[in-house]
Amino acid sequence: MTIDWLAFVTVVVGSLVSACLLVALFSIGLRLSDGTAPWRRPVSLALFVVCAAVVLFGIYLIVPFLHP
Amino acid sequence: MDVTLLVALVIALALIFDFTNGFHDTANAMATPIATGALKPKVAVAIAAVLNLVGAFLSTEVAKTISGGLIKEGGSGVRITPALILAGLIGAIVWNLVTWLLGLPSSSSHALFGGLIGAAIVGAGFGAIDGGVLVSKVLIPAVLAPLTAGLVSFLATKIAYGVTRKRERDGFKIGQIFTSSLVSLAHGTNDAQKTMGVITLALIAAGVQPAGSGPAVWVIGACALAIAAGTYSGGWRIIKTLGRDITDIEPAQGFAAESATTATILASSHLGFALSTTQVASGSVIGVGLGRKGASVRWGTAGRIALGWLITIPASGVVGAVAAMLSQLGLWGVILDVVLAMGAILTVYLVARKRRIDARHFTQPAPGVFVRPKRRKKKPLPTTTGSTAVVPTKGANT
Repeated sequence: MTIDWLAFVTVVVGSLVSACLLVALFSIGLRLSDGTAPWRRPVSLALFVVCAAVVLFGIYLIVPFLHP
Repeated sequence: MDVTLLVALVIALALIFDFTNGFHDTANAMATPIATGALKPKVAVAIAAVLNLVGAFLSTEVAKTISGGLIKEGGSGVRITPALILAGLIGAIVWNLVTWLLGLPSSSSHALFGGLIGAAIVGAGFGAIDGGVLVSKVLIPAVLAPLTAGLVSFLATKIAYGVTRKRERDGFKIGQIFTSSLVSLAHGTNDAQKTMGVITLALIAAGVQPAGSGPAVWVIGACALAIAAGTYSGGWRIIKTLGRDITDIEPAQGFAAESATTATILASSHLGFALSTTQVASGSVIGVGLGRKGASVRWGTAGRIALGWLITIPASGVVGAVAAMLSQLGLWGVILDVVLAMGAILTVYLVARKRRIDARHFTQPAPGVFVRPKRRKKKPLPTTTGSTAVVPTKGANT
């Protein structure tokens, strides 16, 4: 019986960082979309685009023949 | 014994298992968007079904040895016969249906492992099972999966609520559509593979297909259709447990839970520490329940789910073992097995019909739509001779 604790810790850190990053980006995007200053809207849009990129990266990871 | 008949039965039961796997696991992806109203119930299961269908075709990776090393195969170990696979499948199907009836999100993979383990023990004794692998591949991950996902979703919820203000949080519903779809797609690429593996294993064991070859095209197509049909049929009982009964979920929490589920599943499948999707999804929901101020987790429900996980492998193992004993009686034993399994499926179906839970339980009025209040019975007007006690007013008793 062997548990690969190193792999487990990698999984915890990896999922923690990626999930918190996505939620933070989306939340900040939402926060900025709600305001009057002219710079807020483009920045929030940019953040949503980054979120979309994260989702696309997720699809890339899911579909096996996109990555060797 | 007629091998062709046996293989045909194995294929049929494997597809039934695939179907139950589909409706058991719809909840993993779609319980939270349905609970928050991000997606209408029927739309949600339709998206999940399509993504499962697509996912099954996307993954060309050969379905790995289904037993995953749990059952010692080859020279010194067990020879897996189609009859044993049949018995294992019966154990998995029966346990999946029982947990569905109880609304418990339990792992379909564990049910399948349990059934196969039970059948293998009857076929070759306890020596057939590698206990160490059982602990390190199944039991310990079962504890770690919900803890990991819970921690991730807890922190994600804190972030979401810390950054946004109340009136902005409806925006999370749009994000939910994408994150829940990702969970569905990931599920589709994984889970149909298991059934493909079982059918291919049976075909190889029967000598129809050369050893070491991958699933045939018709096997992939049939498995994809079965899991998609199962997913579309919904499994509303488990959606209710995961989306409503553990904790009350708001859009921000739903988004956090799905992000945590997706991230944990993808990390586990790519960084080499396998975790069960069902257990990850359940852990995420508990985590978001703990993360929002004012939300509470119903630990009774969570405890019931954990208990379900604990007994999944032994329970489906016992059913698989009994089925394997019967199948050793020869052709009639196998036929009796299948008849009993059909009887069990029918019984569960009839019991479930009495207390139906379906899509209608989840329809929510769209925001801003006026909900007509229930018409009240008209109160009889107080007669002039009656006392005023019918309508108690302030100070009436003083």
